[in-house]
Amino acid sequence: MNDELIIRNGIVVDPANDIDREVMDIAIRGGKIVRKASPSAKIIDASGMLVMPGGVDIHSHIAGSKTNAARVMRPEDHVRDFERKTALTRSGVGHSIPSTFTTGYRYARMGYTTVIEPATPPMKTRHTHEELNDIPIIDKACFPLFGNNWHVMEYLEKGDVDGCAAYIAWMLRSTKGYAIKIVNPGGVEAWHWGGNIRGLDWEVPNFGITPREIIRGLCKVNKILKLPHTIHVHPNNLGKPGNYLNTIKTMDCVKDLAEEGRAAIHITHCQFTSFKGEDWSTLRSGAEEIANYVNKVKHVTIDMGQIIFTATTTMTADGPFEYILHQLQGRKWHNTDVEAETGAGIVPVVYKRKNFVNTTQWAIGLELALLVKDPWRIYMTTDHPNAGPFTAYPRVISWLMSKKARENTMKRLNQGAVKKSNLPSLDREYSFAEMATVTRAATARALGLKDKGHLGIGADADVSIYGVNPKEVDPSNDYRAVRKAMRRAAYTIKEGEIVVRDGEIVKVIEGKTFWADARVPDDMEMKLQSELSEKFQDYYTIQAENYVIAEDYLARSAPIIPGGTR
Amino acid sequence: MKILSDELVIKNVVCPFCGCCCDDLEITVSKNSIVSAKNACALSQAKFGSQKEERISTPRERIDGKPLETNYEKAIRHSARILAEARYPLLWGWSCTSCEAQKIGVELAEEVGGVIDNTTSTCHGPGLLAVHDIGESSCTLGEVRHRADLIIYWGCNPVHAHPRHMRRYSVQSEGRFRKGRKERKMIVVDVRNTATAKMADEFIQIEPNSDYEALTAIRMCLKGEELEQEKIAGLPSTRFEQLMDELINCDYGVIFFGLGLTMSRGKSRNIDAALSLVRDLNSKTKFLIMPMRGHFNVAGANEVFAWQTGYPFAIDFSQGYPQYNPGDTSGVDIAARGDCDAALVIASDPISNFPLDAAKNLSSIPIMTIDPHETVTTSVSEVVMPSTMVGIEDEGTVYRMDGVPLMLKKLIEPPEGVLPDTEILSAILKEVRALNRGR
Amino acid sequence: MTKITLKPKRQFSVPIEASVITPENFAAKTMEQIKLLEVWDGNRPTTLGSLFDVSSEPDGGDEMTIFIEGDVSKLRRIGKGMRSGSMTINGPAGMHLGEAMKGGTITVNGDAGSWLGARMRGGTIEVSGDAGDYVGSAYRGSREGMKGGQIFIHGNAGNELGCWMKKGFIRIGKNVSQLAGIHMTDGTILVEGDSEARIGAQMKGGRIVVLGKVANVLPSFSIEEIRNVVRAGEERLPGPFYVFAGDLTEGGEGRLYALKEKNPHLQFCEAYIE
Repeated sequence: MNDELIIRNGIVVDPANDIDREVMDIAIRGGKIVRKASPSAKIIDASGMLVMPGGVDIHSHIAGSKTNAARVMRPEDHVRDFERKTALTRSGVGHSIPSTFTTGYRYARMGYTTVIEPATPPMKTRHTHEELNDIPIIDKACFPLFGNNWHVMEYLEKGDVDGCAAYIAWMLRSTKGYAIKIVNPGGVEAWHWGGNIRGLDWEVPNFGITPREIIRGLCKVNKILKLPHTIHVHPNNLGKPGNYLNTIKTMDCVKDLAEEGRAAIHITHCQFTSFKGEDWSTLRSGAEEIANYVNKVKHVTIDMGQIIFTATTTMTADGPFEYILHQLQGRKWHNTDVEAETGAGIVPVVYKRKNFVNTTQWAIGLELALLVKDPWRIYMTTDHPNAGPFTAYPRVISWLMSKKARENTMKRLNQGAVKKSNLPSLDREYSFAEMATVTRAATARALGLKDKGHLGIGADADVSIYGVNPKEVDPSNDYRAVRKAMRRAAYTIKEGEIVVRDGEIVKVIEGKTFWADARVPDDMEMKLQSELSEKFQDYYTIQAENYVIAEDYLARSAPIIPGGTR
Repeated sequence: MKILSDELVIKNVVCPFCGCCCDDLEITVSKNSIVSAKNACALSQAKFGSQKEERISTPRERIDGKPLETNYEKAIRHSARILAEARYPLLWGWSCTSCEAQKIGVELAEEVGGVIDNTTSTCHGPGLLAVHDIGESSCTLGEVRHRADLIIYWGCNPVHAHPRHMRRYSVQSEGRFRKGRKERKMIVVDVRNTATAKMADEFIQIEPNSDYEALTAIRMCLKGEELEQEKIAGLPSTRFEQLMDELINCDYGVIFFGLGLTMSRGKSRNIDAALSLVRDLNSKTKFLIMPMRGHFNVAGANEVFAWQTGYPFAIDFSQGYPQYNPGDTSGVDIAARGDCDAALVIASDPISNFPLDAAKNLSSIPIMTIDPHETVTTSVSEVVMPSTMVGIEDEGTVYRMDGVPLMLKKLIEPPEGVLPDTEILSAILKEVRALNRGR
Repeated sequence: MTKITLKPKRQFSVPIEASVITPENFAAKTMEQIKLLEVWDGNRPTTLGSLFDVSSEPDGGDEMTIFIEGDVSKLRRIGKGMRSGSMTINGPAGMHLGEAMKGGTITVNGDAGSWLGARMRGGTIEVSGDAGDYVGSAYRGSREGMKGGQIFIHGNAGNELGCWMKKGFIRIGKNVSQLAGIHMTDGTILVEGDSEARIGAQMKGGRIVVLGKVANVLPSFSIEEIRNVVRAGEERLPGPFYVFAGDLTEGGEGRLYALKEKNPHLQFCEAYIE
């Protein structure tokens, strides 16, 4: 079998290797980028086409208990958007909560090759892996939730950071998780009694610990374990007018813990936590303040959470936020609290162009992207499906790259909100290199996936080729051509296999599931095991043995050894 | 694992009987038999104890109306032929198999352009229909154990149907914030004074088929509205004001409901009212609701079907993509209308369980059954393929009634020559594909 | 214009997907083209012509008319989304008849299956016999029920008639089963016969008029007054009627009118009239 491929004459954008629209060949062998291929290699003629590393999506709710609960709750979301079975592909449904096969195909068709499920309840992560196993083509990983975990809160309240580190390491190995996810720290435990936490220094009922201590403690654990990704944080007060102040405090609360050249905290879907104002009628953008802070420091990364004007579904571990959203809008509401760990809420939502709040939210996401100067520290997401479905990424790209695209959209929006926004005055337009950075290069680097997000020798041969010429097309004016091209990749190559051709699936392969094989010294491990065997029975309604997920449960397990990844 | 003479004790075994999926069983195995099942309830003991009874030992085919012993290869080919030729085949059952088998089932249903449905259609389907409209405020069972000070069993009888539920997860359990029975109040709402009702602090007996009115009355009181009827659901209307007070004055309330609510008149709207009540109660205090799923992996069937197709049961692939409309695409209704022209039945006994007209129609079409045991359905099937018992002779993934996934263990070897359903289904799928390619 | 007649060639056993049968789809097509329209015979795509004898004759009217002669109870979605023209079915009709219809007329001389006129937007459906469950309803999980148009059923209708109804008019000549008007927000339902329990359940708005006996009035309805005449559709119906407001569990401002004479068991409510 000839597993060699040459992508010939493409116009390569590979920001990690300082390549900006150079015509060059990319050689592939054995699923990796190599220096040269033999004459018998299959050739792809990429003349006049944009060649980039495959997309790396750092935050997208595609798999697990709450995603599936949303599918079950919302048959009406699927009914008009379906895909028929073909000789190669399974049937499925789409729109805001696609079924698993459809999820893989749709990402691949857009040239994405790695996607992260950012929030899985540890006790139910077996479910997440079952779904990830059923998502074809793309590589994936999942982030277990720790910010409301009883063991974590108890360790940190006692000041036992080492004990907490041993626990987190065991949890990552046991759940095959990749990074530490924190959602509304302490707030979801409070929600289990019907309450919430509204400030970094509020005490979590019955646990005597504050969100600040939880975040700082887990930041320290992250350093001890040398995990490939920084702590991934959804702050308290998401969705509340005025919350931008808390977001800045959250970013600031680990500043002293930052290591040189590394992020100490990632604030996810930052749009939702960049609200200024006292209430919905006085809602304003806090993007400028957030961006100013991010620009001033070095230890923070963020992702956008960009609003798309469509009907979609909100789903998050932030149970109390979802209850509030339900009360505000009256739509159906699903809630699942998970014992001793976390929770989830789901509420359908419609983002409307003429709505003052939605227009303000839309502007916030873009303001963040345009005001944060370093494209290596801001990533493009829609927090799929919370702010919009991932299939809208090409549209977001067009807004980033073209002021005209933003203006054309703004014409149809709530003009009161547009007038109060900074966005009309922002002229910045992303270049191809910056676009590639925020959708691939930076996200891969942030995740510590050293073989992803770039096309250097030794990288995984995940390549996307688009039918747009970045040397000839002016994205500022001709943004529609860029958007159209990004919707359907001319070629998507995954591990050296051509999986998409002209936006159609031509081959289905199985992707890998990355997880962090975190370990601590034997003495810490033994101490942990004795503590766990005492407490586990008390905390959970299942046995510790049954909590652990064996490696062969993953269709293609790809452990990452922490510490060796950057 | 402990070895004592020629006995082996296997710990942390997940029970393959009801939706409780208790995972603390200790099974003692000797000479490929189950000797004892520690921590197992009576229902579970009965399943382990009858593992060898009524087993189908070899595949059977009906040739010229007579059942003849055959081998798997022939039985699989025969089944594949029927399914590939059928114009509207029904693939029914699934709740007593593993997720691994369910996934193959979905793929097979898609390949043959048929309808796949699980027993949700005949028990908790109404609950899911109501969730589509209202959503659901729920939790995992450990949350109940830790926090609940008020537990209501409505239209269900866990003493008989989920024997360890109360001790492991609810009224008699010990949690972080509730130390036991004394710190909890138990209310039972039912039409009869059941064994569970007898254990309650308060038993509310309502008239049959009046659950909707009862729930509506509580919702009215919660809204601060006055009731204009003196008697509701067979009770004085003042009773509902009292009940509402108890509900809002707890710290953490949970309603568990069963077929008494899903299968009495009103069906999905009974659950609609219950889900709406629990949602409304959350404006006053913390309140949750959970269905008492009967089979050990019916929740798993809903999960697998939903992530693979978007829908939790009753999925029609006849036009090449998933379509969903219970009442239309649900197995029992399809059978009742005589819409299906072939049926694959797995680990279920529809000829016994379906309403008469549905069972009659099913009996008149070719049925292929995969089951460990003889049933009424196997006795009228065109093809019978014996399978192993998952959770005893084969491992597999299941989902507890609250959506927590667990792994069933393989404890002993199956009877000689009997295959797991995953293998049988894969073989049928392979054969169907070959036939379809040929067409 | 033309009148097209379809006659089933045989007894159908598996469901037939027939959403192509609408006046729009037939208009401006030759007979050959009509016969080649795709339908599904269970899981087999096939042509209309292979299942039906198709004939046509010119018709003086200015709209396309379709006649279906025979038992089409296995046919699903006849008339889906139709906008104009008329269809007459002389025989029992299957499920989802007239789904999402926007205009035109469907007449059934026989019974109709469940989901008759689901998600209807406009037009008229008339059924001489009985209809099944979910007449004029929304799709699962959706709150978009019937938004316009009229449905007349001369016989009985099943459960959950008008589920999530938003606008329009449904009239039942005989009796209706449980939960008519469930979750309705507007529109009018007129039941000339009796209603089983739970009529108007969880309604937020709209009007339901019952000229026969209602098995019960839910505890979430409150008596407003007794009224002598009530309007429903084009008609002014003579009472007196008990007028209930509800469903109060949903903050509802709907109205349930029950003919006093047929509902002596509701007399207790008179004590609550303020």
